[in-house]
Amino acid sequence: MAEERKPRTLATKAAASIPKFVRGNLAATLKAKEEGKKVADAYINDGQDEIIRAMDIVPAWGESFAGVCAAKREAEQYLRKAEADNFSRSLCTYATCTIGFDMWREELGGEMPPKAPWGGMGRPDMIIGSAQQLCDPRFKWPQATQHYLQDVPVYVGGMYYPQWDPNVDHHEQEEIYVKYARAELMELVRFCEKHTGKKMDWDRLSELVNLTEKTWDIFIDAYELRRAIPTPMDTGDAMNTMVPLTFNLATQEAYDFYKALYDELTEKIKNKQGVAENEKYRIVWGAGLPSWFALGDFHYFNEKGAVFPVEVTYRNCEKIERLDLPPTNDPLERIARRWVRMWTYWYDAARKRKGSIPKVERIISYIEEYKCDGVVFHSAFSCRSWHAGIVHQAQVLKKVYGDIPILIMEGDIVDISSYNEADTHNRIDAFIEALDAYKKRSQ
Amino acid sequence: MTNFGNGSSLTVADKYYSQYGLRARELKGSGKKIIGYLSVLGPIEILTAAGVVPFRLKGNVSEAITKGDAYMETIICPFVRNVFDAAIKGKFDFLEGMVLPHQCDSIDRTDDVWANNLQLPYWHYLNVPHVTDDPSIEFMKDILRLLIRSLEKLTGKKITDDDIAQAVKAHNENRQLMRDLYVLRKSNPPMISGTEMMKVLVAAMSLPVDESSALIKSVTEEVKARPMPANGKVPRIMLIGDQIDDVAIIDAIEGAGAHLVMDDLSIGSKMYWTDVDATPDPIQGIAERYLRKLKIPTTFVGDGNTYQENLEARFGHMKQFIKEFKVDGAILFIYKYCDPYGFDVPAMKSFIESGGTPVLYLEDEYSTSTLARVKTRIEAFLEMIA
Amino acid sequence: MSPYFAGIDIGSTMTKVVIMDDEIVASIIGPTGPEHRKLANKVIEEALIKAALSFEDLAYIVATGYGRINVPFADRQVTEITCHAKGIHHLLPKVKTIVDIGGQDSKGIKISNGKVTGFVMNDKCAAGTGRFLEIIADSLGVPLVKLGEISLTADKAAEISSTCTVFAEHEVINKLSGGESVANLVAGIHESVATRVYALVNKLKIEPEVAITGGGAKNIGLVKALEHKFGFPIVVPPEPLITGALGAALVGKEVYEKYASEGLVPTRSGHGLEEARLFS
Repeated sequence: MAEERKPRTLATKAAASIPKFVRGNLAATLKAKEEGKKVADAYINDGQDEIIRAMDIVPAWGESFAGVCAAKREAEQYLRKAEADNFSRSLCTYATCTIGFDMWREELGGEMPPKAPWGGMGRPDMIIGSAQQLCDPRFKWPQATQHYLQDVPVYVGGMYYPQWDPNVDHHEQEEIYVKYARAELMELVRFCEKHTGKKMDWDRLSELVNLTEKTWDIFIDAYELRRAIPTPMDTGDAMNTMVPLTFNLATQEAYDFYKALYDELTEKIKNKQGVAENEKYRIVWGAGLPSWFALGDFHYFNEKGAVFPVEVTYRNCEKIERLDLPPTNDPLERIARRWVRMWTYWYDAARKRKGSIPKVERIISYIEEYKCDGVVFHSAFSCRSWHAGIVHQAQVLKKVYGDIPILIMEGDIVDISSYNEADTHNRIDAFIEALDAYKKRSQ
Repeated sequence: MTNFGNGSSLTVADKYYSQYGLRARELKGSGKKIIGYLSVLGPIEILTAAGVVPFRLKGNVSEAITKGDAYMETIICPFVRNVFDAAIKGKFDFLEGMVLPHQCDSIDRTDDVWANNLQLPYWHYLNVPHVTDDPSIEFMKDILRLLIRSLEKLTGKKITDDDIAQAVKAHNENRQLMRDLYVLRKSNPPMISGTEMMKVLVAAMSLPVDESSALIKSVTEEVKARPMPANGKVPRIMLIGDQIDDVAIIDAIEGAGAHLVMDDLSIGSKMYWTDVDATPDPIQGIAERYLRKLKIPTTFVGDGNTYQENLEARFGHMKQFIKEFKVDGAILFIYKYCDPYGFDVPAMKSFIESGGTPVLYLEDEYSTSTLARVKTRIEAFLEMIA
Repeated sequence: MSPYFAGIDIGSTMTKVVIMDDEIVASIIGPTGPEHRKLANKVIEEALIKAALSFEDLAYIVATGYGRINVPFADRQVTEITCHAKGIHHLLPKVKTIVDIGGQDSKGIKISNGKVTGFVMNDKCAAGTGRFLEIIADSLGVPLVKLGEISLTADKAAEISSTCTVFAEHEVINKLSGGESVANLVAGIHESVATRVYALVNKLKIEPEVAITGGGAKNIGLVKALEHKFGFPIVVPPEPLITGALGAALVGKEVYEKYASEGLVPTRSGHGLEEARLFS
């Protein structure tokens, strides 16, 4: 999603086309008014994409916008704007960056604040949040935004999934969660109908659910090509190529993108083109959002012969057939079932290995399938949702899988003031030495 | 039953406050199962109905985190970290198990850190939703039923609707008794100090409901019988926050020459202000109380016709408190790394200030290590509103 | 004889005393040692000598600053927030916003008609305080008092992105070894401190005039960086270190005069200097 500070010569063509998607999404929020469309502030991975797209609502993604601000190193001014109204610097910086921007745009009577990256983001007609286990800002951010956009209606729906517990069979609880998620999606449909003045076209929704499932499948197919040695694409690229899945799901463009990526990677494998000139170490990106202002760090890894053929972050989908979904024609139920099964996908595996947890089970499976030698986590201080519990994952991994090299990097997603390049590079150097020793030991 | 015959009931409260968990340990010795829980969302009615003793966990603000940081990130809520540190050090070794309600990311994302490292015989994560529409009430009822089933497995005893109705009655009475005690804070000066009140609140959450009720009742009687303190022109303060469970901050406020006369804390008025309605299906009333009556930032309220209506629904009770308890200034004490409260600050602050009440916003740790700085801010605030 | 009042401000690094009647008659500034109490005695004695007064001539004594509770002979303790506001209002009545950059904390104070209407203080982190400057000055091998002067010779401010003191120190050292000039680095850290302080004070909705107090006010480079952020000039009082002590003395004067207007005398602490010394 982010523009690189250093050019990445080995990156995929697909990744290079990402800024077009991001710009397009931002531009759509600015053009919506003249096209007679409604704009909604939206948040990623809420299971709401198909409904929003079927209602012809243009999503305005704060998480994308804040990431762009960070990558262009323009976030600080908006963070400060929010801080001036007593939003703490320890809160989610995606949210505070975007709220700061919103505050400023309101003060300017709708004009874009100075230095707004890529023309800025349009004022929403509604806010569609989500109260779920993914993160607190997903329902607090919409509420806090409404403080500055008081006429804008907010919908927040609950999208839950069974919590992992080794002693509880989550299958028994599944229906409760599906029923709830379906009901909440229905509430969202009603909200959208009320605020767009349009009726839901259920056939179209079903088509978009089909398209989403097809997109999930081709996404996984393309990403699994990265198992090849040398890997044709790594996480540095994936932090870009996640854009269509995350921000353009339920659109034909997203599907086409991953189809093109699939073809490109197939070609690269045929030509034995790897990410690193001399691939020596393969690493799982185990958890954590990246520092959008320091994506160059992936390049630093690559220069040392280290590549990331797989990452947990932003891979929020699975091959549909693996989810073993019960058949139904109700598009809302399909979304709900897919939602619950995606979150619980690794539960059964974790239950089989004593002391394991699903997140670790997933990492282990990636280590094995992608032939990796180590795991890197990134801990961003302003985001508890993705980054609390990383220490535990590392500990459980060591306990149930064995002594594999692990690096936990510390930084933030948007706030550059906590980042230290020299220190980060030192840690990476030490980790590479550990990888090297580990490989020699295990050979 | 605890006998308050010897010595004053405030002394008893002080004992349970300063030796937190004392009574739970005794009860464990006599064969009771003690179930710990975190946060105001702890389903105490169900736990009581199951015949186990609900015990609300607290940390110790004077104790540095020495073991917990090896397991938990420092970006997690400082309160959660401190309680976990106490737990991992064995301070709550009398627990049979825990119920962890989904309240926020800091709790949700550390669920398995607690469960895996404490290895208690019983563990239950209660997946409380953040929204309050009808499907959410149905969902809340479903997850309460899951809790009931898992508790039945623990105790080997069926929990009947009648058990639940009885427990609801006992907890409603307990809340009423606590509200009666709060009434004694309305006079000027208040009949009970903020420090005394804090000790009663902390003691109460460590006891079985009947013992808690007996203690509160006897404190109320004792306080009423005390000579009325002299009237003085001293600022009356309300403290807003989540789990503030130590007298350190209260001492800082009252030591600087103010009275703490009201709170909107999760172990105080948030916990005691609203009852469970007796409904034909007793679970219905419980679900409604936790989702719709509790005023906490982790419950999303936003279906008013105007933003102002939403604000009233979220914070209106605070203005009511300010009026009823004649509050001169509010202190908003928020823990660092808390998204749910943190995102509320601008709206809450301006809402309270719009009624003419000055607000001091403090973002700090669950620790007395920063107390000197906090004191200076509180004193400056009191000088400002004097 | 008109009564005299003393204000004593024990900051984290400096202790300040002001003795006044209607005007300042003596002021003293000295470093705060680990033993506040002893020092409080010493500096007030020095100030009394300078003013040619004896302890008994002081009608009321107010202590402020972070060590205010360790002044046994003070008749009252008042926070530095109130005292800075009083002191600045006395010297510069048009000021509405005060920025105070001290050794271990920085703060912003809003005043209206001499009364505090709002204030903010930095959290426990050293970013945006004198301590931050001190640590960086140390690692650059530059005396703290020279920072301002050196920064004026910079051709541009080096970009220091870390606000964490330890990280910023690394960053500065790295950039120094990468060939960045000391002057540019010093300008860079002034920029960094100014950014943090501005973000802090901005929570108060800054209104001119703005005055700056505390040790930071003596650093011309920092003041310039702040003026750039604020977008207008900042007033520096003639002796920016003593405004807290002056305010404390003024609080004492007010208390005394209020009682006097009713024909009364305020209650005193009852502690003399000798007595305090016995305990020290």
